[in-house]
Amino acid sequence: MSDNATGAQGGISQKKVLGLFALAMINVAAVLSIRNFPSMAVYGWSCIGWYILGAVLFLIPISLAGAELATGWPEGGGVYAWVKQAFGEKGGFTALFCEWSNNLVWFPTVLSFIASTLAFALTPDLAANPWFMFSVMMIAFWGTTAIAYFGEEASTRFSNVGVVLGSLIPAILIILLGLWWLGSGQSLVLPPFSPGAIIPTIDFSTLPFFATIVLLFAGMEMAGFHALETRDPQKDFPRAMALSAGIIVVCTVLATLAIAVVIPANQLNLASGVMQAIQYFFNAAGIAWLIGPMALLITLGGVVNLAAWLIGPAKGLGIVAEEGNMPPMFDRTNKYGAPVAVLVLQALIGSMISLLYVFLPSVNQAYWLLSAMTVELLCIVYILVFAAVIKLRYSQPDQPRPFTIPGGKIGVWAVGGIGLFGTLLAFVVGLMPPSFFTSDGILYVAAVLFGTFLLAVPPLVFLRCRKPAWKKAGVPGREGP
Amino acid sequence: MNPTPRMEHGLVVFLVLMFLIPCGLVIVVASEIPFRQVPSDPAERAILPDGYTITFANVTTWNLPGSLGGKTYVITDRNGNTILVETQAFASARERDAAIRVYNTNTIGRGRQVGGLIVHGQYIIAVTPSNPDIIHAHRAAVATALLEM
Repeated sequence: MSDNATGAQGGISQKKVLGLFALAMINVAAVLSIRNFPSMAVYGWSCIGWYILGAVLFLIPISLAGAELATGWPEGGGVYAWVKQAFGEKGGFTALFCEWSNNLVWFPTVLSFIASTLAFALTPDLAANPWFMFSVMMIAFWGTTAIAYFGEEASTRFSNVGVVLGSLIPAILIILLGLWWLGSGQSLVLPPFSPGAIIPTIDFSTLPFFATIVLLFAGMEMAGFHALETRDPQKDFPRAMALSAGIIVVCTVLATLAIAVVIPANQLNLASGVMQAIQYFFNAAGIAWLIGPMALLITLGGVVNLAAWLIGPAKGLGIVAEEGNMPPMFDRTNKYGAPVAVLVLQALIGSMISLLYVFLPSVNQAYWLLSAMTVELLCIVYILVFAAVIKLRYSQPDQPRPFTIPGGKIGVWAVGGIGLFGTLLAFVVGLMPPSFFTSDGILYVAAVLFGTFLLAVPPLVFLRCRKPAWKKAGVPGREGP
Repeated sequence: MNPTPRMEHGLVVFLVLMFLIPCGLVIVVASEIPFRQVPSDPAERAILPDGYTITFANVTTWNLPGSLGGKTYVITDRNGNTILVETQAFASARERDAAIRVYNTNTIGRGRQVGGLIVHGQYIIAVTPSNPDIIHAHRAAVATALLEM
């Protein structure tokens, strides 16, 4: 997995440990989640239409744009490096910070998923114990942070093994069970397939869901944060994008359909969690003994999903700090090259938000507001990325790009334009208050926008306050327009 | 202390506050739903507006701590669109709140849940999809029906 080649940024030697498989697995870890399958299975055949919508409006555009940007600017920092080239440091820093800040708001959700799934594997009653939940959440969070502390090689090993065990094996198992169900002549709960059945209903009632679908495949840019540790980024990034997109789509669509054909939609009981659906599924297949081990694997999948999002943007923020856009205390790295200051700060803030999340759980509407903010912040990231890929074709046309979006400028406008359309629409739709929200709609929109603003604005303050002395010696930095 | 470290520390505090202020405000300001005994399943007592029919109903008990049982309804409108309504009563505030937390972990990707959740007394009412016309068009009636219980 590793060789002796090194790269350097800011005087920190980076081992070139990542190849095609490792890069692809970073994306798979960030995007593929068993949590999605039962929720999407509720839509029956039309889940295919929803997935196609997500692929056309987001997955394909972000994969192509990410491949072009990662091969053209294979620097550390991922979205920061790309957007900075197009819109300067303000734009790059804002894009990266929105990705990082949306993570911090999202971490309690995935941590809570990890804890409740583990509780299911041990004894479901534990899910009602806030101290158990909080303890497991903290062990997972700080444990993952500790793995990130030991640098890229340790993180990569964990990610490679974890994604296979925690995401791919459960997904493949579900698909195989679905095939066995079909092959054994058992009755299917879905009506017979017809091309019209895959068309999703898009109306007022499903509009808020639209924003979710567009961001269903968010995270495809995650490998870009690891450019400095990649052996051959210009060759491996496009292939990794294609490989990971293929794995994610095949596993997601087939596993969702496998659940949809076995469990009636009205018995999926989404409210009671993913494991309830898995339990029904495995009971129906006569392999109830596998439910516990499956819960453990899905728990591991949740941890790997957390790790992918925890490490990438933190590395990017470390690079921003090295370039002098944040105070020197943020650019501290350890001997493994891990941005230790950012990782610790991230873990501290995430722990505090998790504390609120677990011990004030009955404020249900607060969850919705927080998830709305994460959607808006992610949309800002992707709007900037899609705008960057278009702008760079004009501002830096001669920059070598081993992979370019086919079709010249028309192609880049089509791909970037579709991506922009999808994410802008998701941003607007994401502001729609759900019908069960009892407060004033305008108050809801104002709260989401205000929260999003507070979580997106720190880069502008940091850039305004920055000092020349903040820049780390030997770091190129401060490029772009 | 010279001005530069003071500013740096100030920026760190600022950064932490920029997270805690919105998250804390949202959680603290959002109205907490008190746990209280309501006489019966809220969905059972709600009167369906014209054009909506219940096409499926059964009794279910979720495999969650403290679940006391509830019902699953499939409501269909004139156009054939369906809404899934699941209700469940819980034995205590702690168990109800744990169920709310589990529900809120079921997001799709980085987005939201496929449906929405209404909390009423000891009941949780999960509605899929999250923005059904029936609740939008008849929000006042639904709210009144729920408050009357």
